[in-house]
Order: sequence, then structure tokens, then C-alpha cells
Amino acid sequence: MATTTRTWRQVSARVRTQREYGAGFRWLELEMPAGFAAPVAGQFVQLLLDPPSPVLLPRPMSVASVSKKGTKLVVGFLYAPVGTGTQAIARLEPGSTIGVTGPLGQGYPLDEPGTPVLVAGGRGVAPLLMAADVLAKSRRRCEFVFGARTASLLVGLAEARERLAKRGSKLHLATDDGTRGFKGNVVQMLDRLAPKLAGPLVIYSCGPHGMLAAVARWAMANGARAHLAMESVMACGTGVCRGCPLPRSAEARDRVLATGADAAPLQGNPEWAMCCTDGPVFEARELDWDRVE
Amino acid sequence: MSHVTPKSKPISEKRVDLSVRIGKLQLKNPILTASGTFGYGDEYAHVVDLSVLGAVVTKTVTVKPRPGNAPTRVAETASGMLNSIGLENVGLERFRSEKLPRLAKLKATVIASIGGETPEELETLLGALGNEPGVGAFEVNFSCPNVAAGGARFWADPARLERTLVGLRRLTDRPLIAKLSPDVTDIRETARACERGGADAVTAVNTFVGLALDLDRMRSKLGKATGGLSGPAIKPLALARCWEASGAIGIPVVGSGGIVSGRDALEFIAVGATAVQVGTATFVEPEAATRVLAEMRTWLAQHGHAKLSSLIGAVQAPAAQEPAKPHA
Ligand SMILES: Cc1cc2nc3c(=O)[nH]c(=O)nc-3n(C[C@H](O)[C@H](O)[C@H](O)COP(=O)(O)OP(=O)(O)OC[C@H]3O[C@@H](n4cnc5c(N)ncnc54)[C@H](O)[C@@H]3O)c2cc1C
Ligand SMILES: Cc1cc2nc3c(=O)[nH]c(=O)nc-3n(C[C@H](O)[C@H](O)[C@H](O)COP(=O)(O)O)c2cc1C
Ligand code: FES
Repeated sequence: MATTTRTWRQVSARVRTQREYGAGFRWLELEMPAGFAAPVAGQFVQLLLDPPSPVLLPRPMSVASVSKKGTKLVVGFLYAPVGTGTQAIARLEPGSTIGVTGPLGQGYPLDEPGTPVLVAGGRGVAPLLMAADVLAKSRRRCEFVFGARTASLLVGLAEARERLAKRGSKLHLATDDGTRGFKGNVVQMLDRLAPKLAGPLVIYSCGPHGMLAAVARWAMANGARAHLAMESVMACGTGVCRGCPLPRSAEARDRVLATGADAAPLQGNPEWAMCCTDGPVFEARELDWDRVE
Repeated sequence: MSHVTPKSKPISEKRVDLSVRIGKLQLKNPILTASGTFGYGDEYAHVVDLSVLGAVVTKTVTVKPRPGNAPTRVAETASGMLNSIGLENVGLERFRSEKLPRLAKLKATVIASIGGETPEELETLLGALGNEPGVGAFEVNFSCPNVAAGGARFWADPARLERTLVGLRRLTDRPLIAKLSPDVTDIRETARACERGGADAVTAVNTFVGLALDLDRMRSKLGKATGGLSGPAIKPLALARCWEASGAIGIPVVGSGGIVSGRDALEFIAVGATAVQVGTATFVEPEAATRVLAEMRTWLAQHGHAKLSSLIGAVQAPAAQEPAKPHA
């Protein structure tokens, strides 16, 4: 559940490691200064390049891992250098510094009862790797569904396999073209998997919006809860600019109108939820999937 | 250009008097937040001490809550950003019952930004808020580029501005600041109309109408075609508008547009601004406004200026200048 206590800070972090991760993706680890709160799975940060920077605004990035190295908090990211900002991040050498604002947004409620099913699409695997770690620490086994168009886009597959194997969780692969695992998409995979699992299911998912909409619809049709990590273009990342709207469902709109304000964030807009503060993780019933772009 | 003799002897920062005045509102310093870039203040209160700022200008509030425009609402451009928020705000009632009490607890000097599609809506707002003890002044947003009705175009008419301000003037004894659009033929005309209507100050300027395309999809990057451009990209444009406005009127001008450093702020002061607003910079760095304030104080101390207000308009307004000589 969302809270109104704000714990985010803007700090300067040190690059610890940066390396290729396969399929054109990169892995970045930052060492955080004291006072930076440990993010939970599903939360994100805003990465701000030191001046002179080729871009103005910070870039939102999901947290893919949180660990302690000695007394230092180390935060990991899995990212694709798709444009000017992320390509500049890709050039940062170990030892250099970068601004970090966070932790931001609402993460996955990993303590919900039910059988956890993690559903990742492509680079959406980032926050789910962390979710799998957290579930394992609390000794909960999970099913991990990992889908992509084709085998080479199963980013960080080796990493996922290794992490999950240690914990006795099961990895289920799906590719649209059948080059790896089940031939089909993650929703078809859910159809096959669900009857074999002890219900009720609680799904945690991240991936392209089209996939998330399909997972959300599947969950609503099958009486499961589903928590989906969304994205939006952002400016502030902190709920101030109102730049990152996602369409609320009729049910959520009525609730916001009835209570006057949202449980937590800021302004309780009945039409639009803000991705950065109401999300990025939303339960399936919160959004109007027909209008999600 | 006229020119203040540099006082080379540095003084202690403690000796620098930053106070300025807008109408009867005394401000401890000229650094304000820009409306719509600092929420209702409390969003940043855990990282910024609001009580050290000159004032917090709150998000433009309208009579009824507004949900804002459909996505996409923001797009980055070269050294700037476009926004098409569409004045999403909580509406008058919640602003008064929830937001103002929080700002009072945080000991902020509050300038409430109000917006309306008609003069009557502005009167309703001022009728309701005009005597609120928690509000030090009002900024009237005559310049939103992102709403279908009551936006910058509607308010670009000097006669309408003047008439409206005359009506508003009766409803409050607090200073009224008219926030102007840069997208007019001559900002001196709109600024003079505000002065005649009884405004205590004008803010120059709001965002510039801009357009960014996604060429691959052959459409605007924003949900609505155009948005308002802000950030460092607009600083020279905004500085020129601020200079023109301050040369045309006798009431104070509040500078806005692309300010990210103490030096930027001082440039607006030098062309005649009495106070300045920090906007988009806050999205990059939540503590931008307090850093701008600290940098301004340091510069003044290093250059031996004990009184900021003596620098206001140090660079003369265009009216007082020689006509520009054509260059080769
Ligand atoms: C909450 C959140 C979490 C994210 N987590 C990750 C992550 O873990 N790993 C990762 O690789 N990326 C992630 N992203 C996307 C990442 O922020 C964008 O790829 C990045 O901002 C692009 O910046 P750029 O300067 O490189 O590209 P730009 O030049 O700004 O844009 C390049 C392309 O990316 C698209 N784009 C720009 N901003 C976004 C955005 N916010 N979301 C989606 N597409 C965008 C543009 O439309 C364009 O097609 C996340 C985004 C959000 C909102
Ligand atoms: C996301 C965003 C929202 C804004 N909302 C408002 C608003 O509600 N009312 C207003 O008067 N100006 C609004 N503005 C304009 C700013 O207050 C400021 O005048 C403008 O952005 C130029 O200054 P800057 O370059 O420092 O941002 C907004 C600007 C941005 C970027
Ligand atoms: S990015 Fe500014 S409100 Fe979400």
C-alpha cells in the first residue's frame, strides 16, 4: 500500500561496475552513499548524468538488485542503451559518479498471500530478478515465467537461471518463435501453468505494456491478483510535474471520487494515476487497459 | 549598456541583504519557485527547507479540480522540455482545506497561483482566497499554453487583461502578480495593461509554445500537438522579454525562464527583475532553488554588493538605450 512518507533523496553515487549483459543490454552497479534508503523490488530511481551532460532530464531506471558490500549499499540496474542519455550512461567508467534520486514509487507488494508467479518480458526481467531474490529470502518458492520474441532476447537468462536454481524456484521459458522453451507468449504459458499450481495466484510482472495488458486481463478473468510495473515518459519522477499519467479504471475512479483523495500520493486525480508516484507498480484492476498506450 | 562599477572588495555573505519587495509583500530574498514545478510545496519539504525561500508559488489552482490532458504530457528537447499538463490541479476546495494548512506548517511564504477560463472564474477564486491568512500574494496565470479555453491566447488581449485586473483588484488587499505569456507581438503592451488594471507586479514569462515531432510515427511527441517550452533553452528569450517588460512599466517584474544558477538569476535581476522563479531546474535537481539562492549570495559577497536591490535594473532597459547600430 502506498504511503505519504517520502524517503527519496538525491545523492551522488559511484559506479562500481559496468559490463555487457548480452543481447545489447548492460549491467550497472552503483555504490550509494550513506542516507540512501534501500529500494524495494519494483521501485525505480532517476539517474542524472554529471555536467556536462548531453541531456537535461534524469532517466528513470528500475532497480534490478540491492546488496550490501561491507557497509555500502550497492544497487544494480539492467538497461538498454537506446538513446542519448542511456548511451552516455553506458560510457561511465568504474569510479566515476552519477546523480541518483530515489528510491521512487511504489514497489511490488511481495507479501501478498498466494502462489507467487513472476512474469517477465524482455528487459522487464530487471525488477523481477530482484523480486525473486526477496521471495527466496523469505523462503517463498516462486514460478518464474520468462518470455521474449526470440531466444536471443531472453536477457540475462543465465543469471536468472542461476539465481532461481539456488532457491528451488522454477523457470518457465516462452518464445514467440519457439527458439527456446514453450512456443507461444507468456499468457498462453500462464494458461498451461495455472492448473498445475496451488491457487490463488499472485502475479508480479514487468515488460512491454502490450504484454502487461494481456497479463492483467488474464488475471482478472482468472480471479488472480496481478501487480504490473509500468513505464511512462517522465520529467520529475516525484509526482510534482504531473507529466506521467496512466488511465485509471472505472473502479479506481469511483474509489478516488468517493474518498476524495487517494490513499497516498498527492492529489487523488480520478482520471489519471501518476506512473511515478501512484506506480510504477499497479494492481490489474487499477488501470483501464483499453486506454493504456 | 550601463554598467555598475565592480566593487572588487569581497564582503562577508552575512552582510548581503537579499530582501526585496513586491507591492506590500516583503520577501527575505528574491528566489521563488515557479508555479507547476514545485507542486503544492509539501512534495519537496523533506529535502528543501521551504522557509528559506523568498516564496513558494503553488501549482495553478482552478475553481473545479482538473484532471489534465491525455498522455503524452512531457517531451525532452535540446536543453529544455515541452509540457502539456493541462493545468491538472486539486481545485479550490482541496487547495484551501488541505494544501494551505500544510504550507503554513512548513513556514513558507505562499504566493498562490490562480487560473480561470473567464474573468468570473478568477473572481470566484479570489473571492474565496483573497483574505486567506496563509497567502502572501496571488499570481494570476494569464498564460497557460495548454488549455482549450482561458489560455495564453485568450489572455493576450490587453483590454481584457486590464478589465479583468480592475475586477480582481477589488477582491483582495494582497499583491496581485500577473503572469504573462511570451507569445505576443509586444509584451510591453500586455505588461502596461496589467499595470493600468492595478496589478502590483508582472511575471515574465511563462513557457513558449513549442512542437516536437516523432518523425518515425509522423506525429507530435505530445498527446496534444503543441506544448510549453521551458528550461535552459528559453533563457535568452525569457531574459529579453523580462528586459522589455521592465523597461515598459513602473511596477516590479518577476523573471522566469531557464534559470538554473545564481548567475542566471542575477542576469534577470540586472535587466530589471525584482524577483525570479526557478522552474524546470527543480525537476533535474530538487534542491535547485536553494542552490540558486546560495550561489547568488556568494556572488554578491564576492563582488562586494551589500544590497541586492541596488542591482535591480543595473543594465538599463531598452527604451533608455541608444538604438542598436547595424553590424556588418
Ligand atoms: C519506471 C521506469 C523504469 C524503467 N526501467 C528501465 C530499466 O530497468 N531498464 C531500461 O533499459 N530502461 C528502463 N526504463 C526506460 C528508460 O528510462 C528509457 O529507455 C530512457 O529514459 C531513455 O533515455 P535515452 O536518453 O537513452 O533515450 P531518448 O533519446 O530519451 O529516447 C530513446 C527512445 O526511448 C524512448 N523512451 C524515452 N523515455 C522513455 C521512458 N521513460 N520509457 C520508455 N521509453 C522511453 C523514446 O520514446 C525513444 O524511442 C524505465 C522507464 C521507467 C519510466
Ligand atoms: C511541467 C510544468 C508545469 C507548469 N505548470 C504551470 C502552472 O500550473 N502555472 C503557471 O503559471 N506556470 C506553469 N509552468 C510554467 C513555469 O512556472 C515557468 O514559468 C516556466 O516553466 C519557465 O521557467 P523554467 O524555464 O524555469 O521552467 C509550468 C512549467 C512546467 C515545465
Ligand atoms: S514524472 Fe513528474 S509527476 Fe510523474
